[in-house]
Amino acid sequence: MQRKKIRVLIMVGGLLAGGAMFGSSNAEAGATAAMLADTCAGCHGTNGLSGGPAMPTIGGMKTEYLQAIMAEFKSGERPSTIMGRIAKGYTKEETAKISDHLAMQPWGNATSAHQSKNRTHISSKLADQGEKLVKKGKCEKCHEDNGMAQDEDTPRMAGQWVDYLIFKMHDLKNKDLNVPQPKKMAKRIKKFSVEELEAMAHFYASQK
Amino acid sequence: MSKFTRRSFVKLTGGAVAVGMTACAGGPSIASNYKHRVVVIGGGYGGSIAAKYIRMADKSIKVTLIEQNKHYYSCPLSNWVVAGFRDIEVQKWGYEGLKGHGVDVVHEKATKIDAVSKTVTTASGQKFHYDRLIVSPGVGFRDLEGYDEAASHAMPHAWKAGAQTVQLAKQLKAMKDGDPFIMVAPPNPFRCPPGPYERASLVAHYLRKHKPKSKVLILDAKDKFSKFGLFTGGWKQLYGYDTPNSLIEWVPGGEGGKVERVDAKTMTVYTGMEEHSSSCINVIPAQKASPIAVNSGLTDKSGWCPVHLDTFESKLHKDVYVIGDSSAAAGLPKSGYAANSEAKVCASAVVAALNGKPTPVPSYVNTCYSMLSPDYGISVAAVYKFDQAKPGKVQKIAGGLSPSNAPDFVRKQEALYNESWYQSIMADTFG
Repeated sequence: MQRKKIRVLIMVGGLLAGGAMFGSSNAEAGATAAMLADTCAGCHGTNGLSGGPAMPTIGGMKTEYLQAIMAEFKSGERPSTIMGRIAKGYTKEETAKISDHLAMQPWGNATSAHQSKNRTHISSKLADQGEKLVKKGKCEKCHEDNGMAQDEDTPRMAGQWVDYLIFKMHDLKNKDLNVPQPKKMAKRIKKFSVEELEAMAHFYASQK
Repeated sequence: MSKFTRRSFVKLTGGAVAVGMTACAGGPSIASNYKHRVVVIGGGYGGSIAAKYIRMADKSIKVTLIEQNKHYYSCPLSNWVVAGFRDIEVQKWGYEGLKGHGVDVVHEKATKIDAVSKTVTTASGQKFHYDRLIVSPGVGFRDLEGYDEAASHAMPHAWKAGAQTVQLAKQLKAMKDGDPFIMVAPPNPFRCPPGPYERASLVAHYLRKHKPKSKVLILDAKDKFSKFGLFTGGWKQLYGYDTPNSLIEWVPGGEGGKVERVDAKTMTVYTGMEEHSSSCINVIPAQKASPIAVNSGLTDKSGWCPVHLDTFESKLHKDVYVIGDSSAAAGLPKSGYAANSEAKVCASAVVAALNGKPTPVPSYVNTCYSMLSPDYGISVAAVYKFDQAKPGKVQKIAGGLSPSNAPDFVRKQEALYNESWYQSIMADTFG
């Protein structure tokens, strides 16, 4: 409960700071945070709220987390299909602006919009199985509150798009990709099979 | 009616005010509650975003969107419909979301722009006054001998999604096994540079399953095309390209691929040297700015609309902005994502101008996915900036193509990212 309250307070603070930021646009300061961040919306949705099924929602994530991931995309340390190419287009300062702006936006859970057949539907059977595996793996040591909590190096997973989480589980498991991850994470990824990791993705996606 | 309570009186006068406000959209001299008026022509990837983002940034601006169709059908991903693995209904979007942002949506055809009196006239004769006008009408077709309105039904272009898309899908389905699927591909510049080659890929995928004796024949005006290496590499991998059994044959302009005229009665197309016939022919004509832009004096000799690239204001008419495929946005491709990005740059420039503020520093992105089969996606992406010292062209800062040697799982991920791109950009546009 206390945690939730703090989260709301942080969000309100963020919104106020956001209001102040809109006014500060001049040539020396470069493009505004909104101008920069709005270019993300074509793939990640208005204010970072993705239309799914595989593109992650990034609005409402922690700015430190977003900045760190963008830096890894830019350096090539973190493998990606497309983000490495895009991240190279921004300076560190611009990435910070974009991340700050997205972090101020409210989080929105994945919805079940009318889409093509190529998407995965959350299976309650797999989600139940995933819940047991998450407990077994003691994932809540970092991914607290069933993946609802987040901090500077832990992304929110609850309510994220299931196909995105499945892709990331596959990537983490893929030795060739060498996805940067803390040792404690790598240890757990190694322990579980791809099928088990997919079930865990279903569990986290089912949490709202 | 005779029972006149105070509440009903308020309701009535309130109604009268509302009617008055609607009427004043047409009357330049009648004041309204809004400080400024922006009219947007065209409710697609460019215009809808411009309308929405102006309203998101400044609620004191009245925004009227003039769009002739009640529903919008997206061109991106419509090639999946042609190839029979996507329902056209998933391509269909309405304007309720924009109305929710306070955009006035008028379903009429804009017929005239008067940049002197600053009014737009619609087909019914309604006039809309503007302080700033944003024109985002898509593309028009250049003349091709034999290709008139009737011929466009027999040989659909399917380059504007909707009925044309469904028509081409139907003709492909009805095509005799053994007939070629003939595509007439346009010269540069044109809407969606990789589009014809994505379509050729997906039709080849369809033919292998449903018309094993048929193949795709691309008659091209050009000698090279967008994502060339990725397409031809993928075609080799998937469709036997460059072998005698290839499902796709591409005839470049330099080798007689340019089609000079078509005959819809005999279902034949003529290049300088040869003629080709089939029961299914897809003619994508050469393109220029949409007729409303041409007729309003917004185009130059090139056939496209010259604009200032940091605002998208026309170089020919003050206070008129052109975004999307009709604009001559040097450096940016004619893509849905570029239109979205241009619309946001334009919207912020318009909001700043109306509030007496300096032009904001722009930032642009393009991201474009193409499919070679339902499980095989490729992409191109770039980040752009405007350099005051080089105002003639938007400068690419970074970007590039999917790697040519990507493993299958990456192609598959990009295929689902393509669907996701679509869902997010449509939510951005119409949500």
